[in-house]
Amino acid sequence: MEDMIFYDRLQFAFTITFHYIFPQLTMGLSLIIVYFKGKYLINKTEKYNDIAKFLMKIFAVNFTMGVITGIPMEFQFGTNWAKFSELTGSIIGQTLAMEGMFSFFLESSFLALFIFGEKLMGQKLHFLTGFLVFLGSWGSGWFILATNAWMQHPVGYEILDNGKFVLDNFSSLFSNPWLLPAFLHNQFASVTTSSFVISSIGAFYILRDKNLDYGKLLLKTGVVFGLVSSILLAFPTGDWNAKNVAKYQPASFAAMEGIFETEEAGAEIVLIGQPNMVEKKLDNKIAVPNILSFLTYQKWDKQIPGMDKFKKEELPDNIPALYYSYHIMVGLGTIFIGVMGMSVFFLWRRKLFNLKPLLWTIMFLVPFPYIANITGWYVAELGRQPYLVYGLLKTSEGVSPTVSSGNTLFTLLGFVAIYLLLGLLFLILVGKTIHQGPKPQIH
Amino acid sequence: MTDTLISLISIVFGIIGSNISGYIFKTHTLGLIGNTISGVFGSIFFIKSLGQFGFGPKSIMQSGDLHFGLFILNLFISFTGGFITVILIHKLKTMMNHR
Repeated sequence: MEDMIFYDRLQFAFTITFHYIFPQLTMGLSLIIVYFKGKYLINKTEKYNDIAKFLMKIFAVNFTMGVITGIPMEFQFGTNWAKFSELTGSIIGQTLAMEGMFSFFLESSFLALFIFGEKLMGQKLHFLTGFLVFLGSWGSGWFILATNAWMQHPVGYEILDNGKFVLDNFSSLFSNPWLLPAFLHNQFASVTTSSFVISSIGAFYILRDKNLDYGKLLLKTGVVFGLVSSILLAFPTGDWNAKNVAKYQPASFAAMEGIFETEEAGAEIVLIGQPNMVEKKLDNKIAVPNILSFLTYQKWDKQIPGMDKFKKEELPDNIPALYYSYHIMVGLGTIFIGVMGMSVFFLWRRKLFNLKPLLWTIMFLVPFPYIANITGWYVAELGRQPYLVYGLLKTSEGVSPTVSSGNTLFTLLGFVAIYLLLGLLFLILVGKTIHQGPKPQIH
Repeated sequence: MTDTLISLISIVFGIIGSNISGYIFKTHTLGLIGNTISGVFGSIFFIKSLGQFGFGPKSIMQSGDLHFGLFILNLFISFTGGFITVILIHKLKTMMNHR
């Protein structure tokens, strides 16, 4: 049984991690595409339209890869997590179905119209299709987050005698206090990823002395979007999420902050340190006293319960992974604010396009927003353990009893092979699009 | 093997079908990117709709073991879906831009 849970979790973690590489870019990019298309409508400068269409090609490749890697997710609910689907299907099925019916169809239909229909529709309708693609992709995020929010902080449910969960208040799914902060944090994280992607394409063009006009515009827009979104990621959305974890999942909060022992008054914030699970302490710790209490409760001496206050079965089952994921996410987020802040400063001083070290830095930072996004999701998912539905349904109670660990392992190996192939195809397609660059409109 | 993996292999066959279609019918090709995207959606559309006749991923693994005949049929339909979709999308694209 232990083996089975391990492989089911490993497979889900692998497939969802690979899947989330794609939607995080499409959600942020759709906003930036609407911005460029809107700018074109206002001032009729062709290069804004060229960039909107160029970015939509990158969007389309990402969206397609997101669809391919999303299909196995849907099947896994049935194959690997059948018990979970059976018990909670009448609740999570609502939001997941709405994601497919309202958002995915909206996004995919209008994506095709945006790509093929510019001449047919004219510029205003073309802008509208772009806006509907944006609405569809953010709507997808909203419904998926509503599902996850219910798993993190279940509301509006009733448990029947047979153990099945049913909804007794539909609107509570969307007024869940966990949902809005998680959604905003997730969306700004997506915008940050997209900002880094377009900034790096801009930096690449400038460094290669190719498509210079487009490169400068991409870089300029990217760093401004990047600075705003990375600040909003930290405050208020990151802060709001952390407060929610402290309130609704205090054991997870203690684990992600690395608080092994409850301090008498005022909890310190740990900057660096390695969890030592044998001695139940942090090794080589660098911490600032009382800051965590102030950030969480605005009181310097407020006590925050450490892991010693909880039973072992209430604590997440992989504390080091949770702790490191959280600190990597926060550390990278701080670096993003620094780099984007510096870039905007030099943009204002009209020096950005000639500062080669900074352009190289921006270009090579591209993988890091992806890492920050994914570790952020690890924090949410590892923090919820050992539960699937927090406090109500354990992960061990949600797996399919009939799928053997060998079967799951074989499927996982198959996923690794096919995802390697798809990853390569993705890099070729995106590389080709970037190499071609935006194409000027021919009248 | 579980049906999750079958669904993925099926899409890969759709991508292969669409790129072969684009290679054979050069006047209808949408380029590597366009062909690949068409292949994915063609494969999914064909398998989601026609797979109801009994060769969808779930039916292939219904007994717990892989039904090899249904698996081959699934891959063939997916390949065909990708192959045809490139041509259909090219026609749609031409119609939409014909003003």
